[in-house]
Amino acid sequence: MLQFGKFVATRASMAMITLIIVSLVVFTLMELVPGDCAERYLAFKNTQGSGISVEDIEVERQRLGLDRPFMERWVSWIVGAFQGEFGDSCILRVNIAQLLGTKFWLSLSICLASLVLAYAIAIPVGMISAATNNPYLNNTLRIVSYFGLAMPNFLLALVIMLFSTVWFGETLTGLFSNEYRDAPWGWDKFVDLMKHAWLPIFILGWSATAFALQTVRALMSDEVGKLYVTAAAARGVHGRKLLWRYPARHALGPIVNSLGFDLNRIFNELPIVALILVLTDAGALLIEALARSNDQQLAGAIIFLLTASIVTLNFLTDVLLAVLDPRVRKSIMR
Amino acid sequence: MTSLIDVKNLTLRFRTDEGLVKAVDDVSFSLKKGEVMGLVGESGSGKSVTAKALMHLNARNAVYDEGSKITLHTDDHGEVDVLSLKRPADMKIVRGGAISMIFQEPMASFAPAITIGSQMIEQLMLHSDMSKAQARALSIEMLDRVGISDPAKRIDQFAFELSGGMRQRAMIAMALSTKPKLLIADEPTTALDVTIQAQVIDLMKDLVNEFHMGIIFITHDLGVVAQTADKVCVMYLGRVVEEGPVREVIRNPKHPYTRGLIAALPQLDDLDAPLVPVPGDIPSPLERPSGCVFHTRCQEFMGDMCKTRLPQDIWIDPDHRVACHLHDPKETGK
Repeated sequence: MLQFGKFVATRASMAMITLIIVSLVVFTLMELVPGDCAERYLAFKNTQGSGISVEDIEVERQRLGLDRPFMERWVSWIVGAFQGEFGDSCILRVNIAQLLGTKFWLSLSICLASLVLAYAIAIPVGMISAATNNPYLNNTLRIVSYFGLAMPNFLLALVIMLFSTVWFGETLTGLFSNEYRDAPWGWDKFVDLMKHAWLPIFILGWSATAFALQTVRALMSDEVGKLYVTAAAARGVHGRKLLWRYPARHALGPIVNSLGFDLNRIFNELPIVALILVLTDAGALLIEALARSNDQQLAGAIIFLLTASIVTLNFLTDVLLAVLDPRVRKSIMR
Repeated sequence: MTSLIDVKNLTLRFRTDEGLVKAVDDVSFSLKKGEVMGLVGESGSGKSVTAKALMHLNARNAVYDEGSKITLHTDDHGEVDVLSLKRPADMKIVRGGAISMIFQEPMASFAPAITIGSQMIEQLMLHSDMSKAQARALSIEMLDRVGISDPAKRIDQFAFELSGGMRQRAMIAMALSTKPKLLIADEPTTALDVTIQAQVIDLMKDLVNEFHMGIIFITHDLGVVAQTADKVCVMYLGRVVEEGPVREVIRNPKHPYTRGLIAALPQLDDLDAPLVPVPGDIPSPLERPSGCVFHTRCQEFMGDMCKTRLPQDIWIDPDHRVACHLHDPKETGK
């Protein structure tokens, strides 16, 4: 047990180091964008009619601390980031942590929900398809999952919206109805959220499910053909026990391993889907910050938070894998 | 001695994309209680498929011919018609109950993420009314019996934590724990070091005497057969080409294929003697030769007769038969 604690601690500190390296990359990218926060804000002001001089920019730079060396600014940024403090947005001039707040958690929840949906479908269906080797089931699955892989999520979102608008007169956009948008959190607001959130969850989960189905089926087919399954059958093990206790149990390890990778894919889709469905979540903010207002502080913060989520999930799957697979566990224990 | 298992006209085809492929062709033999039989042949000769048929363990695409019959004589269930078993509960009799099987690769025949003990206990509880504690006690006793040191500790270990010889011992312990009447050993020593091989063979010989079981030893190694078996059955491309008492067959082989196998063995007393392999390769089961299946490689090929007509069993002695035109008085005129 002590060694297991040590393993968890080692993995946690490795995740920490990964995050610090990632933060350096993110911060460097933020810096590589031409111009800095001071110039950008004042240029933005300029378009609104107030005259700006070079001295104004210099004063603003000093006020924001942008004249300090790169490493110093990175360190103070990362120290803040680990405490959930990302400073002010360049353009909007509001605290990023407050701006993001619930929006980030909303986005993360939607992504995790689509991940759960994907595997809740893929694990039983993929395993049964591999175990029974029923040609009809297999071919149906193949067609469905190729369709899922080939059809981009944004197209699916557009098609669904088109149909719902034409047939039901519902636009299906946003995450909240008007009356709940600014209401405090409560049961009613949660129900309202669920009424809207199923669509982005379904759309984000769509290709993830197709992908996970293929993964699970392939891993399970591999296990079903192994000698230990025949050996168990030769000992009289049969039926559901022969399926779940033997091949399914052993296919789970690699499946757990693929979770982090899938969350990454879902994150990639998040901004585009957010844009189409007019969601007011972190995905929409990311697009706004990157593409429209060039708000490097805000974009950096969101990218850092998304990366941190992936690193955290990978850390959790590493620990889960050690719990599931004695070969991994025993290699830690000695 | 009374009969333990009778195999009559076993013919077995596999349904594949290329059509029906014959794997076993009209195989008959019987084994008495306490008798050890070697089933010898190259890879692809159908020996493993024949052995698996005894446990009704062949893949789902296996098709048995109408006339095939395997009868197992048991104490508890009377005469069992193996091929007519349908329900998993009935199959238990031949899977781990009255018949147990040891596989070639002990590493691959244990499930990697389940402890050895858990797999042993599961089997015992399937085949008897034992409580978990009783099953565990018996498993430890069996591990001790096959010469595994510290069995109370080993039982909670995984297969990957044991050495190759240990694993095969554990496999033997597991196979024998249900006190089967017939043990099928599919190349049980091929994956082991030569020194370990000898230990495992000695162990098996001891246990046969103690438990009074029949053994079917599947191997391509005539040396192993000579040491362990009472009788030997030589198979080629799914057919039994020669059967007889082991000493008789090795000293006085009748079939050109048996002679070839014996000539291919290295001789330690004459190191300069050349190794004489059986020429050619075993044909693909998709292209079974007409007539005698061995005629394409036979050193004593006698022309059209061998090419067109299937040789019948010729009885050299009351218990020694060979399927070859060489020994047919009608064909050779002798």
